[in-house]
Amino acid sequence: MATSKDRILLAVIGDEDTVTGMLLAGIGQVDQRQKRNFLVVDSKTNVPAIETAFEEFTQRKDIAILLINQHIAEKIRPLVDKYEQAFPALLEIPSKDHPYDPNKDSVLKRVQKLFGE
Amino acid sequence: MEALFFNVDNGFLEGIVRGYKAGLLTQNQYSNLTQCETIEDFRTQLSATDYGNFLANESLPISTSTIADKATQVLVDQFNFLRSNAVAPLSKFFDYITYAYMIDNVILLITGTLHERNTQELLERCHPLGVFETLPALCVATNVEELYRTALVETPLAPYFRECFSASDLDDLNIEIIRNTLYKAYLEDFYEFCGTLGGPTAEVMQRILAFEADRRSINIAINSFGTELSKERRAELFPSIGRLFPAGNNALARADDVEQVRQACEGVAEYRAFFESGPGSRGRAQNGNDSQAYLLDDNADGLGDSSGAAELEDRFFAHEVHLNKLAFLQQFQYGVFYAYLKLKEQEIRSLTWIAECIAQDARDRIQDYIPTF
Amino acid sequence: MSGAGPRENIFPTRMALTNTKLRLKGAQTGHSLLAKKRDALTTRFRAILRRVDEAKRKMGRVMQLASFSLAEVTYATGDIAYLVQEQAKTATFRVKAKQENVSGVVLPTFEVDRVPGTDFNLTGLGRGGQQVIRAKEVYAKAVETLVELASLQTAFMILDEVIRATNRRVNAIEHVVIPRLENTIKYILSELDEMDREEFFRLKKVQGKKKRDAETAETQRRLLEETQESVDITPELGGGGGDLLSSKDEDVIF
Repeated sequence: MATSKDRILLAVIGDEDTVTGMLLAGIGQVDQRQKRNFLVVDSKTNVPAIETAFEEFTQRKDIAILLINQHIAEKIRPLVDKYEQAFPALLEIPSKDHPYDPNKDSVLKRVQKLFGE
Repeated sequence: MEALFFNVDNGFLEGIVRGYKAGLLTQNQYSNLTQCETIEDFRTQLSATDYGNFLANESLPISTSTIADKATQVLVDQFNFLRSNAVAPLSKFFDYITYAYMIDNVILLITGTLHERNTQELLERCHPLGVFETLPALCVATNVEELYRTALVETPLAPYFRECFSASDLDDLNIEIIRNTLYKAYLEDFYEFCGTLGGPTAEVMQRILAFEADRRSINIAINSFGTELSKERRAELFPSIGRLFPAGNNALARADDVEQVRQACEGVAEYRAFFESGPGSRGRAQNGNDSQAYLLDDNADGLGDSSGAAELEDRFFAHEVHLNKLAFLQQFQYGVFYAYLKLKEQEIRSLTWIAECIAQDARDRIQDYIPTF
Repeated sequence: MSGAGPRENIFPTRMALTNTKLRLKGAQTGHSLLAKKRDALTTRFRAILRRVDEAKRKMGRVMQLASFSLAEVTYATGDIAYLVQEQAKTATFRVKAKQENVSGVVLPTFEVDRVPGTDFNLTGLGRGGQQVIRAKEVYAKAVETLVELASLQTAFMILDEVIRATNRRVNAIEHVVIPRLENTIKYILSELDEMDREEFFRLKKVQGKKKRDAETAETQRRLLEETQESVDITPELGGGGGDLLSSKDEDVIF
């Protein structure tokens, strides 16, 4: 688990307000090649673009936590549900216009499955 | 004298704008809006006002930013109607109003250009009131001088840029400084222009602009605490107009904390009230922050400080509304147009705020909007 | 009996029996150890589960407050989203991974690592800067909660995985390895018994045979003895050439 030491960044895929807030908190990182660790999803962003970003963030070696708005996670749900790596930790977060629904969370779903008996 | 001829050129427009003003939301309508349970209710309530069905074509759920955008569009349409019917010197006055938005747009484009963003995307984000022909051309510039020579020299903003040449390279810090330098130059210029119009226009507008200038000075002073903005640079950003100028501005330039800012403003009776935290208003602010208290309890000191300043911001808004309302009390002057625009903007802000409170279920803060009439 | 369950393919010898017994013992110790580990992990897991649940709920509230503070910023300054996006350069809010050991399972926990930065310091200089600062603080707190939640969640995922593996092992030992070894032992025992019995039978048989042989030999011997006796007489009778008394020998002159 030596690699976990290099994971120091947070990444975020979210709507404009969420991303703005996270950036205000100071998580933004843009490297020399203008590669960012955040993606703003608006009504014009298509699903493949989100998927690409998701894949990219989950494969980057310097990201410890990936935050994603729940309503955006919904759009790429199969991909999110399939994701089982421990690193980066995937966290579904609520957004302003979409209150948090614990029933949709892929992790909480697993929790419920465990207690599903 | 101007009362005699004013209506020849501007009577029609003044009539229109006073009609628009009558369409601003009343206290009653505001309280109806605050009672709404959902955004859907909110829309229904709004359709009974002058806004009509401006949200009718929006698909649910309506985000607060959509409401703000649509409401701004209503305002922009009204403004453009007024502007296209105006004759000199009123048309010039309207131009001046748009300069403020142009400054914001220019700054936005420069920021975007620095980070090699898509121009089209940037243009969509520009404020519709501040769009001008050569705006897209700004994207090619890499430093202020080039920017000036290629694009801005054609625009009315050109004179304002003269002061910015000291900042030779464009980085994020400088951009914010450029923005404020431009705004300062703009305010001074507008102030002077209103002076040339003379009569009640000058009287009304200069009162409003003086307040605007003072507000900026105070804000810049407060917001630059603890940043790398030096006191000399800070002083350069203060508009050289306003009731605090020059003595108050000098004091502001030297201020190190809010208390010193307060002392700097002692000289003006109205401003003194902004810094007094009466028991009533304190209670309200306290109330609003209760919900956040558990979150921020460990930096309660800092919060107390900033909530005081946030409250200050609210009072500024309230005072601005007050001044703008005063503008409507006088006839035969251009101040009404400016005042209407500002009041409408405030109304949009209040609407967005209420919508936000409804959407986020923050009922305890819903009363914190600034009512216009 | 020995064929009732799966067993190891082993030659039933006493040596193998000793070995298998040792292995059974090992498996049993392993089983109890693993079961203990599983219990420890599960205790931990349940605690974490409860905290995950709590934190997820708390997150909802915290994020709401945070976005509300952003609404305040928007109220005071207008839209700063774009500026903020463009001005982001280096992360001042980072995390550090630490490790915690629960019954031999390494659980990473993230710790907030904030370096003072100057990003967005001048945002809203002319208007609303205080709100921006406040929103920054509120969001930083919110992100801290998220980081905490992320550690919990990672711990949850890893523990989940480990517990499952442990469970698999416990179950495998309990339901496969141990019965198998037991079967093997039974098999070996029964084989050995069988061999014992066979041996016994064989011995008996041998003994019986020996006895029979001995008897036969005896009878034969006796028979032989008898025959020998008769043969001994018969030659005397035959070989003697008749009654000495009744026979006359021409050579006998008297």
